[in-house]
Amino acid sequence: MASTEQLTFAIETFKRIHPVEFQRRFLSQDTRHDGRAFLQFRATHVVKGTIGTAQGSATVRIGNTTVVCGIKAEVSEPDVNTPDQGYLATNVDLSPICSANYRPGAPGDEAQVDSEHIFRLFGEVVDLKQLCIENDQAVWSLSADIVCLKSDGNVLDAAIIALMAAVEDLKLPQASLDPATGVVSADKAIETQLTLRKRLFPATFSLVDDAYLVADADDAEERLATATLLVVLDDQGRLANVWKRGAGTIDRPTIARCIAEAKNHQNAVSSALE
Amino acid sequence: MARPDRRDPSQIRALHCVLGQLNRVDGSAQFSAGDTSVLCGVYGPVDVKLYDEKLDRAHIEVKFRPDIGVPTTKDKWVEDAVRSTFEREILGQLHPRTLVQINVQVCQGDGSVDAAAINATTLALIDAGIPLRAMVAAATCVVRSDHSIIVDPTQEEADSALSTHTFAFSNLQTNSPAYVDSRGEFSIDEYNACYDMCMAAVDRTLAFMRTVVEGKILKETQTAL
Repeated sequence: MASTEQLTFAIETFKRIHPVEFQRRFLSQDTRHDGRAFLQFRATHVVKGTIGTAQGSATVRIGNTTVVCGIKAEVSEPDVNTPDQGYLATNVDLSPICSANYRPGAPGDEAQVDSEHIFRLFGEVVDLKQLCIENDQAVWSLSADIVCLKSDGNVLDAAIIALMAAVEDLKLPQASLDPATGVVSADKAIETQLTLRKRLFPATFSLVDDAYLVADADDAEERLATATLLVVLDDQGRLANVWKRGAGTIDRPTIARCIAEAKNHQNAVSSALE
Repeated sequence: MARPDRRDPSQIRALHCVLGQLNRVDGSAQFSAGDTSVLCGVYGPVDVKLYDEKLDRAHIEVKFRPDIGVPTTKDKWVEDAVRSTFEREILGQLHPRTLVQINVQVCQGDGSVDAAAINATTLALIDAGIPLRAMVAAATCVVRSDHSIIVDPTQEEADSALSTHTFAFSNLQTNSPAYVDSRGEFSIDEYNACYDMCMAAVDRTLAFMRTVVEGKILKETQTAL
């Protein structure tokens, strides 16, 4: 008769082999594997002006998730239909450097969806008319590249905060069009900043293992999430976005609770952006 | 503020649906709400690429093509919306290591296209006989500049709106939306009002879907006799 051998896994091994069970051990005890409460967000750190060669930039850290945003400004011709408006193009870059989840090459589905979503959000923030240099002839075209350097969950929140900070950091040299030559010249000595319509404060909640609603999920929790809810508030007490995706159930009272939690979190993000 | 087509604020446009128009796909549905018309063709369960193969369930892929121009990130966004909605509802566990491919083509766009895409997908999946947990329908509401709320906006009404709200509900759970996308500048009260209005519109759309499916079954049993 063989004696039953007791297998003792090292915690790291257990985490790798049984990721779901590992998380359940904590979640079923009303806590999370990094010690946070269910609705507790990680600390947000923002540093503006981290890229000297960009007109606007910022680096955002939420826990181990690190995202850099750089905005380059170029002069271009405006669209015929909107002769007094410039452009803001947003591009989110999720590459293998930040996580093993992503493949090299063209932007994947997640990056494209995030890029589009952030573009729609910031249509409410930046007044494109402020980017006009000369009506119908020259406008500023801003390319915002949001690069994720380290992904430990909740890249979308970090990306939104990074772009928010970069746009606040943005300094455009005063530009004028010489009507005779058609050349736009910029005076770096005089710089203008954009007056933004509003500031955005994001908060992401994830339904882990189809049962536990957590705020600001990290990578291990995100992999087991069956639904995500993004709530974006503005600085005027209104909502800018409620976006629920995924298979899991997040019912109406829970969404209301998340909106309330997002309001609580707003102060933390706001002071980080200062 | 009266609506250009004289509809009530809570009135959706006339719904129309034709099933099984395409004979190469496993199932198809052309869903129209007023001038918005979306065609959805579904293959499934079919062979899946090794990279996408999932051991315990079907892989769900959505392709969305706009009425005009080449697909852009805008359409990738709608693909994500449709896929995340149906990941719950398709009983993928019954067909592991296969692919369910949903192809959506906008034939005519006049507002509320995202909602029409979700509605067309439900009907196409039923036409294809792919097992579903529940039927999902979607509706869009907008808050206008005078803060009045209207359902099923046309493109013209949506362009001038303060905020747009798209909700999808399954016929089993109205307390928990399958998909939510509210964007713009709005208050919690406006969000809740839109939630209620969309829920009512989804109820009507689900009832319409039921009559469409009943018609299909009736036609098939009559042909069999």
